[in-house]
Amino acid sequence: MSDNGIVLAAEDGVEAAFIGWLKETLNKNIFDALLIPVGTPAGDSFAYLLLQEPAILDSASPLPPVMPVQGGKAIGRLTMRENPSKRIAAVVRPCEARAAIELSKLEQAHLDNVCLITLDCPGVLPLADYLVDPVAGAARFKEASAQWDRSPMRPTCQVCDHFSLRQAPGCDLHVGTLGCPDGTAVVVAGSSKGDHVLEQMDMGGQDEDEQADFLNTAVTDWGTQVEQVEEAQTERRRQAQEDLREEIAGAEKLLGVFSSCINCHNCQRVCPVCYCRQCYFESAALKLPAENYLARAERKGALRFSPDTLLFHIGRASHMALSCVSCGACEDACPMDIPVGQVFSLLGDRAQKALGYVAGTSLEDPLPLVSYEMDELHEVEQPYVEVYPNQEVQDA
Amino acid sequence: MSEEREFVPKIVYFMCSWCGTGGAETAAAHHLRYPENVIPSRVNCTGALPAVHVIRPLIEGADGVVISGCHPGDCHYDDGNFRARRRVALVKSLLDTLGLEPERVWFRYVAHGEGRRFVDTAAEFNDHITRLGPNPLKTRSDT
Amino acid sequence: MPEGATSSAFASERLQINQGAEETVRELLRSLLESGKVNAVLALGRTGGPSGGVAYSLFRDPEAFGADGDALPLLPFMPANAGGLLSRLTLEGPVAEPVAAVVKPCELRAFIELVKLSQGNLDNILLISSTCGGVYPLDMGIDGSLEKKLPTYWERMEQGELDDDVRPTCRACESFVPEGADITVALLGEADLDTQCTLHLNTERGAAFAGDMEGTTVSGKRDSEALERSLDERKAFREELFAGVGVGLKDLIHTFGRCIGCHGCKTVCPICYCRLCYFDSQNCERPAGFYEGELARKGGLRVPSDTVYFQLGRMAHMAISCVGCGMCTDVCPADIPVSTMFSKVGAAAQAVFDYQPGRDVTEEIPLRTFEEEEFTEVAT
Repeated sequence: MSDNGIVLAAEDGVEAAFIGWLKETLNKNIFDALLIPVGTPAGDSFAYLLLQEPAILDSASPLPPVMPVQGGKAIGRLTMRENPSKRIAAVVRPCEARAAIELSKLEQAHLDNVCLITLDCPGVLPLADYLVDPVAGAARFKEASAQWDRSPMRPTCQVCDHFSLRQAPGCDLHVGTLGCPDGTAVVVAGSSKGDHVLEQMDMGGQDEDEQADFLNTAVTDWGTQVEQVEEAQTERRRQAQEDLREEIAGAEKLLGVFSSCINCHNCQRVCPVCYCRQCYFESAALKLPAENYLARAERKGALRFSPDTLLFHIGRASHMALSCVSCGACEDACPMDIPVGQVFSLLGDRAQKALGYVAGTSLEDPLPLVSYEMDELHEVEQPYVEVYPNQEVQDA
Repeated sequence: MSEEREFVPKIVYFMCSWCGTGGAETAAAHHLRYPENVIPSRVNCTGALPAVHVIRPLIEGADGVVISGCHPGDCHYDDGNFRARRRVALVKSLLDTLGLEPERVWFRYVAHGEGRRFVDTAAEFNDHITRLGPNPLKTRSDT
Repeated sequence: MPEGATSSAFASERLQINQGAEETVRELLRSLLESGKVNAVLALGRTGGPSGGVAYSLFRDPEAFGADGDALPLLPFMPANAGGLLSRLTLEGPVAEPVAAVVKPCELRAFIELVKLSQGNLDNILLISSTCGGVYPLDMGIDGSLEKKLPTYWERMEQGELDDDVRPTCRACESFVPEGADITVALLGEADLDTQCTLHLNTERGAAFAGDMEGTTVSGKRDSEALERSLDERKAFREELFAGVGVGLKDLIHTFGRCIGCHGCKTVCPICYCRLCYFDSQNCERPAGFYEGELARKGGLRVPSDTVYFQLGRMAHMAISCVGCGMCTDVCPADIPVSTMFSKVGAAAQAVFDYQPGRDVTEEIPLRTFEEEEFTEVAT
């Protein structure tokens, strides 16, 4: 993080001030286009919109109450083949930015001309809760987020410990609101790309020393508050994960958790890091002749059909847990209310810890499965001790 | 022995074409025996063994999976065994988190000439899994 | 309507059994497995223990159909369209020995349609279906409310009525009498379902497999007053339901605007059999330059794009074969009435070709056949 930053202030709220600032970036030709959530025509949900008309920004919502599409996925769709020729600012939540960074490392997104702008995130409501009554949902979200109350948010959001720039340091620009007086926010740079934007936006003319003092105080207050919230969230997460593990561990409990899975694969489809065009678990590899299924049914007395439900979930985890950003999109999309986001978040955290990696926090750290150290992980090597001495003589 | 049938585990042994398989060949040349319920399965390099292929047998009927590649530094493709080690660490982490007994997966280097080490690994793993008992997943019809 | 609009699917002979419908079906399936007449049975059953869920399973062990067994063959619930599952089972070739399947009429139609699309094989599949009173939405299978609803469901079934809580798609279904089933269990509008059961043995195969059941064979015309009444009620509801979804670009954008792009509707659709959907394929992956071009033209562009395109395109691919099973609506995380829209459009497209998907395996799918002298009005 650099020292560069600005303080946003507006009488009608941070959102309006931030949107005004974004308009300025378009007017000053700092960005050619913005990718930002905008309400759908029916007013019952939100979608990412790529826009270049500043006027459209009036209906934009930088922190919508729900996450219908993971922003990382939107950035991936836009840039999967090549770097865009236009300079695009993507206004996303920290977990969405982290997903975009993972996708970039997986060569599924090109971020050279994309400026990731994130905001301190209070979480989002479960999509199903919100859709029951979007107006009430929006009000509920507004009220809860004003107080940083995460209780109505999705379970993964309730225990999120990557809600600010501090935990998602790969973002280019960040809007900090935690600990800031009402109606103000700090905009700080997380990268040289962000620095450059702030320099270009510098209005100049005012008393620079006074400004710098004001900014330093604001940034310090924000940073202190972020650290405090992080500490509390880390503890909540640890506790929640401990409880969850208790609920799912072991064949019996685990099969109970996934017993109502209908194999719609929505979780995989909405996962921002599950980028495969064709998932292995939908491929010909698992489509077998009837004899195979019947033989398995004979061995087990019965065979759940479609088969391979547990294999799909554990197998998918083996493919993406190391890049899991705990965004909870999978759980939102599950029609059977399976806590799949919480389970994958737990699997991801533990697997990433085992391999010394945190998904989406840096463009430089190599992906764990395409790199290695020669001297590591000796605990998985089964030591060889001669258990059966002199056996050779007998065998011979 | 009680009325219960003696538990004979079903074990899948993934070995790389260069070292693990070589160990098995050396064992054969020396007429060394390993348990018949160990099913050898050759892969080109343990670094090319997908995690799913370790997980799948554990759900569909195996009691344990053992993986043998070349010793560090000996990989035919330079670093396949280091990559395999990371993948095994991943699989073990997933199994551990889900309470599915990561000790049912073993990773041990076996060189081409180490016939003794190959049969010992097979026998030792067989005993280890016999002690652990049947894998609860393999009889479940709702996987 | 000529009498028998709903009864044409029945053979003239039926078997009356002095035993409840659920028990009859369980006993039939258990005896078929025990005697080895069938190799396996595809039916609904419990998964993950008593507090777990419900899924289709291929049952081998006859005990599953015992009084305390895991199977739940007549549960009004549809976690997957079994037509798609039968296709999965027989995709690589027919089963060597008979397999029985207890399916709902829409699942049966889906399977027949898939066979016509070369995605399955009917050989050795014994199809057991029933006059259907609809199924409850997936949500109700999650919180246990389904279980509590069952007494009401069966009570109203005996009266020939549908429970108000079954899926709207089911309440609007006109094809609740299975056609092409080997054995049809009479459920809708049958009195005393817990002590009496009527099995219609529609085919020789059906008669051969159910022949060992104890009961009285009755022949002659069957009174289907309750079925006709249900048909009328459902037709009326269907009109109402269809009127509720608007068409035209504005309404389509409003209806599908909250789509999250999970394509779950496609994944669970039994007719959408493609391993890789066109709309997930490389054809729909675009370079950044494409988006920039669109942006210049429109000023603003939704990303990921192609939301309405996907829906209409998928419609073009499968609406002619849409069996109206409602899985798409049930699975939609954004609560979009996908099935209503698809049924509405599908019914219109099917009417153009006078085609009913899944009615008859020998009937050609309209887009795979043509006559030289037809639709001359579409060419100008």
